[in-house]
Amino acid sequence: MVSGLTLATLLFLVASGLTLIFGVGNVFNFAHGSFYMLGAYFAYQTIAACRTNFWIAVLAAGLGAGIIGMLAEFLFLRRIYGRSEEGGFQILLTYSFILVIDDLVKIIWGTEYKTIMRPEGLKGSVELLGLTLPTYNLAIIGIGFLLVVVAWFTLSRTRPGRIARATALDREIMMAMGINVPLTMTLVFGTATMLGGFAGALAAPLRSVTPGAGIEVIIDSLIVVVIGGMGNFWGAWFGALILGEVIAFAVVLVPEWASVISYVVMVLTLIFKPEGLFAPRSVRKV
Amino acid sequence: MEIKGSHKDFIFWAVLFIVFGSLPLTGSSSYHLMLASHVLLWGLFAVAFNMLWGVTGMLSFGQALYFGVGGYSVGLMIKYLGGAWFVAGLGLGMVAAAILSIAIGLLIIRVSGVFFTVLTLAFGQLVWQITFRWYEFTGGDDGIQGIIPSGILSNKIAYYYITLVVVIASIWLLRRLSRSPMGVLLRCVRQNPSRVSFVGQSVRFAQLRIYVISSVFSALAGSLMAGIDNSIHTDMLYWTTSGEVILMSVLGGIGQFFGPFIGAGVFIVIQDIVGAKTEYWPLIIGLVMMVIVLLFPRGLVGEFQALKSRLQSLIADHRG
Amino acid sequence: MRKQNVFGILIVSVLVFVLAPFAQAQEKIVKIGSLFPMTGRPGLYGLDSVDAAEMAVEEINAKGGVAGYKLEFINSDSKAKPDYAIRIAKRYIDEDKVHFLFGVVSSAVGLALTEVSKQNKKIFIGTDHASTQLTVDKFQPYYFRVSNNTFQSMAAGALYLKELAEKKPWSTIAYVGPDYAYGHDQWNELKYNLDRFGVKYKIVGEYWPKLFAPDYTPFITSILKDKPDILISGLWGGDSVAFIKQATPYGLFEKVLFCSPDAGGNYEVMSATGSELPLGLVLSARHHNNWPDTAANKEYVQKFFKRTGRFPTYAAEGAYTGILAIAQAIEKVGNPDDTEALVKAMEGMKIKLPEDPDDFTSYIDPETHQIVQVQAVGVTVPNDQFPPAKRMLGEWKIYKAEDLLPPKEYIEMKRKK
Repeated sequence: MVSGLTLATLLFLVASGLTLIFGVGNVFNFAHGSFYMLGAYFAYQTIAACRTNFWIAVLAAGLGAGIIGMLAEFLFLRRIYGRSEEGGFQILLTYSFILVIDDLVKIIWGTEYKTIMRPEGLKGSVELLGLTLPTYNLAIIGIGFLLVVVAWFTLSRTRPGRIARATALDREIMMAMGINVPLTMTLVFGTATMLGGFAGALAAPLRSVTPGAGIEVIIDSLIVVVIGGMGNFWGAWFGALILGEVIAFAVVLVPEWASVISYVVMVLTLIFKPEGLFAPRSVRKV
Repeated sequence: MEIKGSHKDFIFWAVLFIVFGSLPLTGSSSYHLMLASHVLLWGLFAVAFNMLWGVTGMLSFGQALYFGVGGYSVGLMIKYLGGAWFVAGLGLGMVAAAILSIAIGLLIIRVSGVFFTVLTLAFGQLVWQITFRWYEFTGGDDGIQGIIPSGILSNKIAYYYITLVVVIASIWLLRRLSRSPMGVLLRCVRQNPSRVSFVGQSVRFAQLRIYVISSVFSALAGSLMAGIDNSIHTDMLYWTTSGEVILMSVLGGIGQFFGPFIGAGVFIVIQDIVGAKTEYWPLIIGLVMMVIVLLFPRGLVGEFQALKSRLQSLIADHRG
Repeated sequence: MRKQNVFGILIVSVLVFVLAPFAQAQEKIVKIGSLFPMTGRPGLYGLDSVDAAEMAVEEINAKGGVAGYKLEFINSDSKAKPDYAIRIAKRYIDEDKVHFLFGVVSSAVGLALTEVSKQNKKIFIGTDHASTQLTVDKFQPYYFRVSNNTFQSMAAGALYLKELAEKKPWSTIAYVGPDYAYGHDQWNELKYNLDRFGVKYKIVGEYWPKLFAPDYTPFITSILKDKPDILISGLWGGDSVAFIKQATPYGLFEKVLFCSPDAGGNYEVMSATGSELPLGLVLSARHHNNWPDTAANKEYVQKFFKRTGRFPTYAAEGAYTGILAIAQAIEKVGNPDDTEALVKAMEGMKIKLPEDPDDFTSYIDPETHQIVQVQAVGVTVPNDQFPPAKRMLGEWKIYKAEDLLPPKEYIEMKRKK
């Protein structure tokens, strides 16, 4: 039961940015996984170049990914807002981002595996109720929970959050109300990619930093977002939790088919509640 | 929108037939034949895909599922039953694609837009993961090799001509569909679904029909591909294959019926030429795509058409 | 008509591009057409292979080439995609007129290319992919592999476990491997070899994380619950690194003996884990940078480091071997176009490699075209001679090449299917 939590948190962290940009910003950022990968590489580079401590590297990773995201939105994505077939072209444009970013990462950092060590103080584990719990895992589970609380609060209770949500629903009215819509979109996109960067940096000590990570991670985060409902942070968190636990149980009960289980859960969700288990609005068509 | 212009069509068919038909006769190497076959089959796949997106407005990121089903039907039949079962495998592939697309279509055509796209992606990955993991039966990541049809089809030249004929026939059928009343209906569905249901037509039914048709032709392309490569691999089902067919279509122009075919040809040829010189093909095609999406969204064919009309009107203005 | 103009231009450009190479002067060149993945996770192995192969080609050409011919090495990114690789291989054969096909990392691509090699009667030198099938069930006479396959690695692992049982008895065993063909093949081959050598064992668990899984926690807790004496791992590259990093705080490696005979000891695992790599893990690989401690091996590793600024993974030595094998065959036959003679020359050919200890020379088995090599299994010990790694392998156990080959019954059984 506890063993599924780490996976759930990792899934949630990477899905959080996607659910923000997709559900709130109404932009499908296919390249979200690439920002996750950029975060890991930025964190690595920060540590390698400046010998800073881990947490500063994580911050730098998020900021770096956020800035690149904002540049991508400002220079490229912005030009296709309002076009017919906007959704389709957005998907295509962000898909081409994946190709470009992945190769740029390879050019800059090469193909060797890089590594980031766990921060001091979190290298060991604690014994609790007969279970061994690695302290770093506990830390990121805590961070994940903190994130969902902060995100939910910001989006639903604060003015910037409400503006962001409203802008996604109807840009024209928001412009008429005097809100700087382009700036809002850029900031939302940047926040989403920043979250992706944080996720990549936080996950890095548990894995190796390799090229191609962008493509590996996007499908899993999509599944979480689909299960939880697009745009719903609590939904994404619960969705990740459900998925993490299901996989953990599958590993024990049906080890031969554990790799397929996440897709099965997603298909079941789609059959019984296609808008996601926690989605607020229905997306059924006419 | 292209409803008229049947003499334009005729020229396309003629060029296709002559250029591709003459390749084996001019002593082309087997590499050129393979290249041409890949262009034909990816071209068919792209045209079938574009019936969903360019014509009906449904962006499916999961057509690789059906492409792979076609390939694996043939591959598995030949692996377990022998080369004589090639045609049976091809038929089975199309039937399986029809059944799967009806089942999946009923589930996912309930949602629209980006949600629909994500779901097509998800189902594609589900089938991929099953095939990848079930390696005792499908060969998994090793794929299946030695897929050689028996009889006349074992002759590479004969197979090539049959592929050419099947592809031309398929694209012709799709062309007729695109210009039929159903085609008009599909375009209306893309432009204004609520108005369509307002006049009493079922949007969902139209979308389901085209989804199934597109998927069946995708499977046909995949089945024939198995015989060209003499092998299949789980990559045929992977989402990046769906991505490639989308890139090809956009490159050629999704607003033109033949655009995706041209896009497939250009994509494959450039991929070989560039791939020989550099390992940074993803970067290059990514940048090309960005340029197309941002600056030339009508694709190669669409932009040429637009350029041509501008020139024509310039000349007309000049005269008048 | 615009469309047909576009088409016409396309066809013409293709023809021009493709005919251009023929305008070159006719020198005496041996062309080697290679395919390696240059992107994604396997990109590291592809890059290492290309660097090592080019290094070998330069060395040979500097000495005047072979039999009056210079070697020319061309590489394309296989993208680890079989259908694309087949097309490139065909272009190599028809347009570039290569004498040899060379490479690959992915077994899927290898299996697809061996068909092309067979159909076109073009020698294919396999340098890194692991699938035993290529020399057993899918064997065809134009294929030669110059690095070991998983059967040989697992045989070495089985022998190691057998010797261990005699000193420190163990009884239960479990396996964790990626849930695809490579992961399953290794486990099946290990079990076969344990049975073959008469080792008694009881399987208490099998764990199949998906390839590139992000989190291994549920598997780690299951392993701890099942308490095997020995945990065999078929994980490779980044998965191996991730598993080791995630399992360490659980104290897994103190409770269970971890053994990864095929790819676990590859250099990138050690360089990526640094001091986080626990001591006492039993690992092996197809080539080690620090074994054997011969002048040839040291020189090879140092030259690679000088050329690229990093130490090689075992893929590099496979590629290096491939070039040496080609050169030696051509030297013997004198003519790179006489494919049949080259095939005969390579069967049974002895070739001294960096990975050969002083008392052994690798050779190519005529029956399977598989190179026969000594395998060394070691244990992780502190060693910072190969930065950024902080651990390398040591306390070596060496296994004779002949003991590792698949026995006749195995080959016949597989080929009959």
